[in-house]
Amino acid sequence: MQADRRRLNGPTSGTAPPVFATPPNWKVQRPTRSRKPDEHRKIFLRTGIVPSASGSAYYEIPPQTPSQQDELLIPQSSSLKVTCTVHGPRPLPRNAAFSPNLLLTTHVKFAPFATRNRRGYVRDASERDLGVHLETALRGVIIGERWPKSGCEVVITVLEGEEDAWWGDAGNEQDGGKAGGWALVDAGIDCVDMVSGGVAAVVQQGSADEKMDRDVVLIDPTPSEHYGIKAACVVGYLQSRDEVTEMWMKGDAGTDTEALVEGAVRAASLARTVLAEAIKEAVELRSDESHDNAHANGSAKAEKTKQKDVVMTG
Amino acid sequence: MSSTTVALPGQDLGPTASNNVGAGTHIQGDHLFASVAGQIISTPSTTKGSKTPTLSILRPSSATLPEVGTTILGKITRTNPRQANISILAIGNTGERVCGEPFPALIQQQDIRATEIDKVKVTESFRVGDVVRAVVISLGDERSYYLSTAKNELGVVMAVSEGGHQMYPLSWKEFHDPVTGAKELRKVAKPV
Repeated sequence: MQADRRRLNGPTSGTAPPVFATPPNWKVQRPTRSRKPDEHRKIFLRTGIVPSASGSAYYEIPPQTPSQQDELLIPQSSSLKVTCTVHGPRPLPRNAAFSPNLLLTTHVKFAPFATRNRRGYVRDASERDLGVHLETALRGVIIGERWPKSGCEVVITVLEGEEDAWWGDAGNEQDGGKAGGWALVDAGIDCVDMVSGGVAAVVQQGSADEKMDRDVVLIDPTPSEHYGIKAACVVGYLQSRDEVTEMWMKGDAGTDTEALVEGAVRAASLARTVLAEAIKEAVELRSDESHDNAHANGSAKAEKTKQKDVVMTG
Repeated sequence: MSSTTVALPGQDLGPTASNNVGAGTHIQGDHLFASVAGQIISTPSTTKGSKTPTLSILRPSSATLPEVGTTILGKITRTNPRQANISILAIGNTGERVCGEPFPALIQQQDIRATEIDKVKVTESFRVGDVVRAVVISLGDERSYYLSTAKNELGVVMAVSEGGHQMYPLSWKEFHDPVTGAKELRKVAKPV
């Protein structure tokens, strides 16, 4: 990490939280996957959270396993918290060349406190790489010709990376692309479809003592819940057109490659249902405000959607 | 207008044979699809030839760009003998849609008024700080939109005198300072 001279930096070695003494008979339990292989975790999504941006979204996957806070002070698992803001369409900077299309720029940044290893303020190589993947995923969905001479900036900030004691530095690039298209729709930029992200993985199944030789395709994997992830795949998927705008595979899936992509597409379709509800709710809220007639059924509808209280940890 | 007719991007709005494409929609294959999230507005056709209604989708007011032919409101930022620089602050005849960020634009000397183009002087038409109603004639170069005020209802709508007082329009080319009684030359917009 390069030194950042403009800010007051923390110690480069990282700031680990104090380690408390554990009970002598305490054994750290590895979380296990309790949901079915084709079941997605529950998602919390809300749009329009940043007033200064033209579009924004907040995306969270609360921890699924019951918290063990009654036994240890430090929570053993963390949730995934991502914000996404869209600025624009705005005029291009003074030195930019004429462009008949919308110029899309994407940034992905982990907050310095997002992961166990403290991140820098300056974007590092992995964050830039994520930004490029996000850009390809979004470029396929935007109708750029409708916005000549303007730029649009998509900024994703990972507030809390999903990791726990069992998952060291694996990185959670899977989820970076997920929230991208969601705020974009909120900003009112022309899209051919709503893009949603999905992840699937090939994992080795089996308990610790028996030999792990069964490969299983799971959607929406949590790395801490599995012993060996052989391959993972991320897609950006347009459901109504049945198109994939971005596919990113890591690891060696072997003969399971097709099933892996299928699984990721299925995960994206599931995530889209939540997205559609959130957008619909935001649009209705906006139209209620603009027409200044507070529909009684508008609030009832909001109750009905997938919103639920966020379980805060830590 | 019921709140149930909300379209999401990618939603099928029906075949193009029975609907005309409007704002916020696009055509794929032979079907019309929504491209922004919002309420569907169906406008009956006005021409005699086609009976099909035009479907368009209301978009949020923040996402608007100046297009060729739109009327804008802006403020003069600097002038020189050949052109006046202006920043577009709002879009619409009365500034219905406020821009999130000002768009740079310019009015060239020959686009200031419709008649006697060669006798126009920029300094006798605009001053820095004037609020101007103009129409976009071109997307322009990489930096500025090109505007024109060559119509009676276009030109300076609000002006402040050299003494710093708000002025009233007197004629098509003069503003009047009510405090000092001085008159200043402008390309005055006809009040609408």
